[in-house]
Amino acid sequence: MMQFLRDLLLFFRRDLRIASTYRSPFILETIEALFGATTFYYVARFVDSPALREALPQGNSYFAYSLVGFVFFDYLNAALNTFDRSLVEARDSGTLEPLLVTQVSLPVILAGSAFYPFAATTLRIAVYLGWAAALFDFPLRAANWAAVVAVLIATLLAFSGLGVLSAAYLLLFKRGNPAKWFILGVSSIAGGMLFPVSILPPWLQIVARLNPVTYALDAMRGALLEGASVLSIGSSLLLLLVFGAVLLPTSMVVFSWVLRRTKVTGTLTHS
Amino acid sequence: MKEGEAVALLGANGAGKTTLLRILATLLLPTRGRASLAGHSVTDDPAAVRRQIGYHAGSDLGFYSRLTGRQNLLFFGRLHHLSDDLLGRRIAELAERLGLQKSLDRQARTLSSGTMQRLSLLRALLHQPKVLLLDEPTRSLDAIAAAEFRHFLKSEVLAGRGTSLLFASHTMQEIELLANRVAIIEDGKLLACDSPVALRAGAVTTTLEAAFAKITGRHLESSAGPGAP
Repeated sequence: MMQFLRDLLLFFRRDLRIASTYRSPFILETIEALFGATTFYYVARFVDSPALREALPQGNSYFAYSLVGFVFFDYLNAALNTFDRSLVEARDSGTLEPLLVTQVSLPVILAGSAFYPFAATTLRIAVYLGWAAALFDFPLRAANWAAVVAVLIATLLAFSGLGVLSAAYLLLFKRGNPAKWFILGVSSIAGGMLFPVSILPPWLQIVARLNPVTYALDAMRGALLEGASVLSIGSSLLLLLVFGAVLLPTSMVVFSWVLRRTKVTGTLTHS
Repeated sequence: MKEGEAVALLGANGAGKTTLLRILATLLLPTRGRASLAGHSVTDDPAAVRRQIGYHAGSDLGFYSRLTGRQNLLFFGRLHHLSDDLLGRRIAELAERLGLQKSLDRQARTLSSGTMQRLSLLRALLHQPKVLLLDEPTRSLDAIAAAEFRHFLKSEVLAGRGTSLLFASHTMQEIELLANRVAIIEDGKLLACDSPVALRAGAVTTTLEAAFAKITGRHLESSAGPGAP
């Protein structure tokens, strides 16, 4: 276990070193977060009304509600894109083969390569919320941070299975993953990103209930905007863990099968 | 293969040299038959096989371009679970033998193709593998760099250090210089495997190229290669 964690840390340090050779992206992303938070603030001001506030399941302003939905959606993006992106980068840069002849397995390589992007996503979200709190009175003081961390961990576990499935698809078919775009598209509508799922038609509400994004956003808004405790968002956390418990092992089985198949067909490192 | 032995894989394009090397490097799974390396099966215990091998695919890719040579080597060495102390010593020692001291602290993207090749060989040797697998190691080197590369393999890797070498090559001069035995492959089948002298004698020819032509019934496209006179 310690060796596994040490291996993960090696990849994190590698990516941090590479990222540190590029100075401007962090500055640009910080400015972009300022623009994003400002845009959300004014859109929310434009549409906000007592009736709208009343209809929100969590929080007491549409600005806070929609901003959490928007920035937190980044996690789903990161989970779905990180694994296959790291695979493509390794393949295209020619580092995949040298990595594969070391003592670490491909699943560890993928998990390690996801470490930094998840950390960077967390930082990006923090910058967004930081701007919102500093300039637009986003209610950060209300947050229950222990619950926020619990939601982040449960969300990563639930979403990572989707990411591993996406990487398996890429290994097998070599090109863009339509399922990934479908999941992102459906989740942006039936996930509660910018509006409550209660306003959707009944059949889309069923889709939303089957979607881990809905539970992740519910729990995150509860923890961030209302200071909900781990216990009070326990049912959403539990459901996220169930999604993770089903998706992660399933995705690992699928990935192992695909890996073996590409090693037989000789297409593992092909683009 | 015996310990410390150098075996060359010789065959036309598509004969199966790279496939064999990649199977032994655990990058491919054999569809039929068995392969083992240093007593470990490549299918049953690939991790044990990987502990014993150093693999260099003959390309100058395979490094993180934004990291320095040293940072790249430290990263890959740590993935072999080498301690930082040992890694530091190995990098210093091998860099000196390969003439890479001045290149180690430059970003990989600024290094020449020849330097990257040597860096790649250094990486393959970091964990002191028992078997070195090289796929056309001098393919993209100029004549001088190729000659130096071969000299390094001969004097530093093979000379009494117990490392076995299995390499694919189209370059007869390289094979004559390095190989104790030559395995001639055609369509994935081993047609002959003997010392260069015995192959020439068996085919009643004076050159390895002619022996190859006689055994396979075909000519190699490029047998001169970099560094050949």
